[in-house]
Amino acid sequence: MTAEAPPVVAVDKSQDSAPRSGVRAWLSRHPLAAYSIRRLGLYLVELWGALTITFFFFRLMPGDPIQTLIQTLQQNYIYNAQASAELIARYQQEFGLTGNLFSQYLKYMEKLVLHGDMGPSLINYPTPAQTVILRSLPWTIGLLGLSAVLAWILGVVIGAIAGWRRGKLGSRIATNLSIALSHVPYFFVALILVYIFAYSMGMLPARSAYDSRIDPGISLAFIGSVLKYGLLPGLSIVLIGTFSWILSTRMLMVPILGEDYLVYAEAKGLKGWRILTRYALRNCYLPQITAFGISLGFIFNGNVLVEQLFNYPGLGTTLVTAIQQLDFNTILGVTNIAIFSVLTAVLLLDLLLPLLDPRVKYWK
Amino acid sequence: MRLLTAVLRTIRNSRRLASGLAILAVMVLLALFSPLIVKLIGGGKDPIEVAAYEKWLVPGPGHVLGTDQFGRDVLAMVVKALSVSLQIGAIAGVISTVVGVIVAFVAGYKGGWIDGILSTFTGILLVIPTFPLLIALSAYAKNVSLFQVGVMISIFSWPFAAKTIRSQVLSLRTRPYVDLARVSKARDLEIIVTELLPNLLPFIGVGFASSALGAIFGLVGLEVIGLGPGGVIDLGQIIFNAITTGALTLGAWPMFVVPIVLLTLLFAALNMVNIGLEEVYNPRLRGVAGE
Repeated sequence: MTAEAPPVVAVDKSQDSAPRSGVRAWLSRHPLAAYSIRRLGLYLVELWGALTITFFFFRLMPGDPIQTLIQTLQQNYIYNAQASAELIARYQQEFGLTGNLFSQYLKYMEKLVLHGDMGPSLINYPTPAQTVILRSLPWTIGLLGLSAVLAWILGVVIGAIAGWRRGKLGSRIATNLSIALSHVPYFFVALILVYIFAYSMGMLPARSAYDSRIDPGISLAFIGSVLKYGLLPGLSIVLIGTFSWILSTRMLMVPILGEDYLVYAEAKGLKGWRILTRYALRNCYLPQITAFGISLGFIFNGNVLVEQLFNYPGLGTTLVTAIQQLDFNTILGVTNIAIFSVLTAVLLLDLLLPLLDPRVKYWK
Repeated sequence: MRLLTAVLRTIRNSRRLASGLAILAVMVLLALFSPLIVKLIGGGKDPIEVAAYEKWLVPGPGHVLGTDQFGRDVLAMVVKALSVSLQIGAIAGVISTVVGVIVAFVAGYKGGWIDGILSTFTGILLVIPTFPLLIALSAYAKNVSLFQVGVMISIFSWPFAAKTIRSQVLSLRTRPYVDLARVSKARDLEIIVTELLPNLLPFIGVGFASSALGAIFGLVGLEVIGLGPGGVIDLGQIIFNAITTGALTLGAWPMFVVPIVLLTLLFAALNMVNIGLEEVYNPRLRGVAGE
């Protein structure tokens, strides 16, 4: 994953003319503020666009969730007779399926933006979708967040060393392994790990997130169990993630090595390790922070399968169950959360990076 | 002819590109001859037919990789599945590369508000997690064909190609030779086809390789949760069968290890081609990724 170039904001042509009063003049005197406002505007446009596309995508899918629900209820003998028209109308009202598509859209956006309400979940009716999602979110954040950060740190450190000592045997092994494995789905590693550690050796559990005999709560036994059950899925994400970060860090590192200031640092008699950490690494980890924000979304993509394999009660499993049951509100909720977190992470990084790195300038 | 020698020289100069292409070539050959190989394994009867042999045979002289829960020969299945996986990669790779190239050229060459709208749209599509949408699409579209799945996957994979190619178009269109062509009153389309396109071929190749990679993984992902096109066996479906039928507990390791090894090899080869091409056409990167 390479660092995405930040959007270059066009220079405001009115800057050249004589200073005027009002907002424009203030903005031209405060480039950072002007940049932040533009960046925020782009963020809002992107967020709105992505939420809108997913809404219409799922609404235009064929399939009637209400009919499906009523059929299920009938099959389970909860209703013996045909469902009354009144009941269907009631459900359609509840799920925001009345009126034409556009008014449904407006109602959905209004509820989502103003009240943070994603509507009721179909599979867990009448529990709201956001409650269902919030229940599984900690598992995904814990598993995914921890392993993604761990993979990033390992990848950047190993990648930097591999670049620094390029040509050496260890570095070449690390590089070639990364080239071979950086695009392999997490899921494959997970499957192999499960086979070795869970089925062949019987050392680690293969399913669920914690031992069901232990009551969830803040106790040593429970935390230990969560760690034990999370080890295999976490390890598979860390392994592949590390390889892809090694590759991209190394690609950022090697061109820097020829720079004059590194030669100068060496001429000053600084130790190799100090040059690496103080001079060279600094130029790699900042772009990699941005790349990390962007990669969050792709980690989510791969993670669905890993959670599915381990029957881990996270967002991915919730999503797959919701899709199988045509639970529109929950599906939309999960994708919306993924979109929101990626865009917000990238926005925050774009706003913070100028403070961390004086060379980053998006304004003039 | 000159083009061919140039291509051959490039391949010879990059060990990484050469080995990636070699692995790919072997796989494509295997896929092309898969009907023949399958017939050979069966020795007269169809080894993929249900109950062709006994169930759950361990790997042995008769069946190198054993048989599955329906008594099908795993080796024959894997060979056939490889060709399906390669097909989906080719279909989705071609579609998304073509769409990506068109969008990239319109955006990068025209510039202005067209570029603004197209780039923002591409950016938005890039942040939408595609896997949920893909699951949804295939869950509702039951009994889809392989080609239709390819189209579905391409809907979400063209933005990557468009983004990389656009940035190259932007840097190329201000080059002196393009200006020269413009001064000599060449039409836009002519400039694009004769001046820009040939110089962008490596980046288009990179875009194709990444899209194909994404598509193969996309289909494997769908199969693994049990939502693939009907009636075809691809490598993902063999893995799915291994999980759901308990091959892991039964010790029938070839059923999931062989597809995973093959796919990993395929990913590695495509990645090597990717990095090799980037190195060849961006000399500043040469030696950056290895050697």
